[in-house]
Amino acid sequence: MEDLLKPDVGVTILTICNFLLLVYLLKKFAWNGIIGALEKRETQIATDKQQAQQAREEAQQLKAELDEKLNRVAEQAAQKMAEAVKTGEAQRDQLIAAAKEESQRMLEQARERIEAEKNHALADIRGEIVRTAILAAKKVAQEELNDASARASVERVLSELKNK
Amino acid sequence: MNVADTIAHHILDHDWGVTLGGLRVPVTTHSVTIFAVSVLMLIVLAWASRAHTSKAGRLLTTLLEEYVSFIRDGLVLPNMGAEGKGFLPYFCTLFLFILSVNLAGMIPEMKTATSNISVTAALALCSGGVILYSGLKYHGVIGFLKGFVPSGTPGWLVPLIFPLEVISTIIKVCVLAIRLFANMLSGHMVLICLLLIIFIVGKMSVFAGAGALIPAMGLEIFMTCLELLVAFLQAYVFTLLTAIFAGSVIHTH
Repeated sequence: MEDLLKPDVGVTILTICNFLLLVYLLKKFAWNGIIGALEKRETQIATDKQQAQQAREEAQQLKAELDEKLNRVAEQAAQKMAEAVKTGEAQRDQLIAAAKEESQRMLEQARERIEAEKNHALADIRGEIVRTAILAAKKVAQEELNDASARASVERVLSELKNK
Repeated sequence: MNVADTIAHHILDHDWGVTLGGLRVPVTTHSVTIFAVSVLMLIVLAWASRAHTSKAGRLLTTLLEEYVSFIRDGLVLPNMGAEGKGFLPYFCTLFLFILSVNLAGMIPEMKTATSNISVTAALALCSGGVILYSGLKYHGVIGFLKGFVPSGTPGWLVPLIFPLEVISTIIKVCVLAIRLFANMLSGHMVLICLLLIIFIVGKMSVFAGAGALIPAMGLEIFMTCLELLVAFLQAYVFTLLTAIFAGSVIHTH
């Protein structure tokens, strides 16, 4: 049992050589590959994370810009709508005024025409009366005048006038 | 039955008596176990680091990457800082090697080589070499020696403090070897003693021996589970302490 604490130098040296050789070989054939792959993936993840962060910031910035544009467009639309309403109202008033003016003008024209037609008719009637009167006068003048014949002549003229 | 001889037979290393040109070649049960474990580790790890095609290979590669992350982020970087990255292959090998050798004793016909002081001394010497190399690499000879004297130490205390600190570092390395050796040896001794209870009691009475069988086996199973835990724990402690000691000479006070 006392051999338990008695070191075997040969085993110690052999173990050191064995272990250091194992470290060297594993470093060459295993750890370098695994550590390399691990670091590569970690770098990739870090890059992806950074890119994602950057993309997120860009998206947020873009969103802010779009929101601003949208607000501006909404403002412009509201402004244009108000302008359109105003223009529409002005045009409506203008159209109503024009229509009123036109109707007034047409009314005036109709009145003038009626007046002209009336005057024309009156002139015709006057002419006709004058002509009839002249005709009657002629007849009266040509015939011997007596009460009965004058009366008959006048009644004949008047009946003629009626027939016309 | 000589109990001491039986225990010694199961625990002590056995020289195979190989000589080369009249010189003794230290081919012993423990050195063969170490060699076998090393070859197995080399084959498995070299295959696993390149086996990306099969599902099992990818799984093993992922496991190895997790293991490397654990050693790097859990042991090396917190204790040695960024300077420890260069030593990562050493620490990865150290932990896995100690663990494999510890667990090898659980396999029938194989021995726990870490219950041999010569083996643990070899591992401690390697760790001592890493600690020394770390100090010399980052501080040079003078800087490394200066690191043994804490800043603010009065001049007259330096001749006293310096040898104390040097001895302290040597003791730390020796303690690494003794701790691993003692823990693994004691576990195996307890396991053998528990088994021997059956035979010792059986020698007195066959019925008593049969009666002792069940409690002894129960304790044996419990101790084996404990041994598994100790195998992991001691590999972790040895690696962690090496990283702490190496870190302490890199980042001196």
